[in-house]
Amino acid sequence: MKKFVLFLLVAIMAVSMVGCSQKAAEPTKAPDKPAAKVYKVVSLVNGNLGDKSFFDSAESGLRALKEAGRIEYKTIEMGGTDKDQPMWLETLNEVASSGEYDLVIVGTYQMPDYLKEVATNHPDQKFLIYDDNTYVGVNQNVVNLTYKQNDMGYLIGTFAAKMTTETSVPKINPEAVVGFIGGIDSPVINDFLYGFLLGAKAANPEIKVDTRYVNSYVDTATAKEMGLSMINDKKADILWGVAGLSGNGGAEAALETGKAWFIGVDSDQELTLPADQAAITLTSGLKNVGKSIIWLFDEWDAGRTYWGKEVRLGITEGGVGIVTDKNFAKIAPKSVQEAVLAAQADIVAGKIVVPTAIGDKTNAVVTLRDSLQP
Amino acid sequence: MTNDLLLLIFNADFLFSLIRITAPILFAALGAVIAEKAGVVNIGLEGIMMISALFGVMFAYWTQLWWVGVLGALVVGVLLALMIGFFAFELKTNIILAGIAVNMLGAGGTIFLLSMLTGMKGNTGALVTRELLIPTINIPLIKSIPVLGQVLSGHAVLTYLAFLFVWLMWVLLYKTPLGLNIRAVGENPDAATSIGVSVQKIQYIAIALSGAMAGLGGAFMSMYYSQGWNSGMVAGRGFIALAATAMGRGEPVGTMLSSLLFGLAQALRTKVSGIQGVSSYLVSVIPYLVTIIGLVAYAISIKNKLKKRSPASKGA
Repeated sequence: MKKFVLFLLVAIMAVSMVGCSQKAAEPTKAPDKPAAKVYKVVSLVNGNLGDKSFFDSAESGLRALKEAGRIEYKTIEMGGTDKDQPMWLETLNEVASSGEYDLVIVGTYQMPDYLKEVATNHPDQKFLIYDDNTYVGVNQNVVNLTYKQNDMGYLIGTFAAKMTTETSVPKINPEAVVGFIGGIDSPVINDFLYGFLLGAKAANPEIKVDTRYVNSYVDTATAKEMGLSMINDKKADILWGVAGLSGNGGAEAALETGKAWFIGVDSDQELTLPADQAAITLTSGLKNVGKSIIWLFDEWDAGRTYWGKEVRLGITEGGVGIVTDKNFAKIAPKSVQEAVLAAQADIVAGKIVVPTAIGDKTNAVVTLRDSLQP
Repeated sequence: MTNDLLLLIFNADFLFSLIRITAPILFAALGAVIAEKAGVVNIGLEGIMMISALFGVMFAYWTQLWWVGVLGALVVGVLLALMIGFFAFELKTNIILAGIAVNMLGAGGTIFLLSMLTGMKGNTGALVTRELLIPTINIPLIKSIPVLGQVLSGHAVLTYLAFLFVWLMWVLLYKTPLGLNIRAVGENPDAATSIGVSVQKIQYIAIALSGAMAGLGGAFMSMYYSQGWNSGMVAGRGFIALAATAMGRGEPVGTMLSSLLFGLAQALRTKVSGIQGVSSYLVSVIPYLVTIIGLVAYAISIKNKLKKRSPASKGA
């Protein structure tokens, strides 16, 4: 029993020590540019920088703004583990109460509840939350930035459909079949899918898309089984994984068979997957958190504000996009790259408007999905 | 549609995937079997699998040797099971609660552990390359037999071990003195005590073996099935194993058959979801539907047996 108590004590000490080491906050001073208003911004990261995903993206946007002399900012890394969570609300309260900042930035699905509480108590403080729309309009001092996954899907669909018939590329077979591994048959995932299907069909009317849902965002093994079946049974040679951590099962299936390529989602997965999986990842659909923050400041400076509203940012605003360097530049033939860029330009020019699956009563995405199933 | 389905099912690839899907369930189910035989309920299989899966990857990464990872996962599995045993046997906690605690550790504690060990969140990301995974074996002679070779050859070392353990478990339980003691303790601890068998010692041995099985199941998940660990990756396989054990009446061979049934349901789900016009919602029900059908069949067979027995018992 004594030993057990000792063990507990040691464990508690270890926990508190780790807690201390994670508080790193470097305030940065920007050169004053009196011409336009220089905003004071604080970005609360409910995790740590170096995630090669949303947090790093937000940071790069803020850095660009600072280098342009438009903001002064400070990033606070609050840590992302369960034991850090109690501090999130406190930190948020602290920066909001200080009244020092023109804008407080938070993000991800984990923050809306904390934000709602703090935003209600500090009605004069402006807040921005990215990649979440849980409480749109509840607080008139909060702007929600979300991303048009249907736009992103359209680009990926264009790319995959053009690529799947380029038999000069290794692993690509003549059949025009690609695969979509979705998390759950739900409006948000189907919004990715809708764009993907439309883009694919526009790029190649003969295209077949094998769509399957893992029904979990963490069951990598089941996602891998589905990927293997797509590759072996349906001759799919490109898989897009849109299923959180499960999605990586698609990359594993592609790697194991050696007969397919993978496409990532949300962030540049070529940077985060193991080296051998990254090597077969052609590109990724991106949510550009950083660019969306810059967009918001552009609008703010132009006198347009969106407090109390949700802004869905698509390709036009730079909110979503596709990775066009590394494997994309190296492996995809020039014609495919050009087709993707052309689709992107068409969307920006308004020539193509990608419909959304969210709130679509006709469920057109399901009809289209079933008609394209090989 | 039926044609599509038949084409998808009656091929070597499907049977191969059936064996692969079954293996982790079978490991955990064998863990449940040995514990149950000693009268111990190890409900913490899911959590043990999660934690072992993480440590398997970590040990393999630290030493750059896959087999150290597997051994590490096994040892961690044993330690966790002994911990459940310690709480239940020494401190007299309800063993179900101890098991639930381990399951919660497996869900949340692993994320914390990963962050402490590597600073990573959610998954082991780029730590694991294919060289660190459990290798697959091509069986020399069987490999060249047309269909059978495709089904039986080319599995991971641990897949073969899972099915080998079914036999070993049967031998242990029915052909060794230890097995006799385990069964005695499970069926009547007082009788076992009366002939000088230490119930606690036997139960510790049984739960340790149970943890070893779950540990191997965990290693299978993160070091072969998936390339690396991610949070929640065991995804209920530890609980499915408990159901499989119940359906297999706690016997090694019966449990293997019921595990195969659950594997079949999963394999079917994977294939059917690729058929045109099948609702994804209906497809995701298949594993549960098979479970219910299996349990009904099991209940009917038990009932019939009882009916047959009852006239005899009247006579007695």
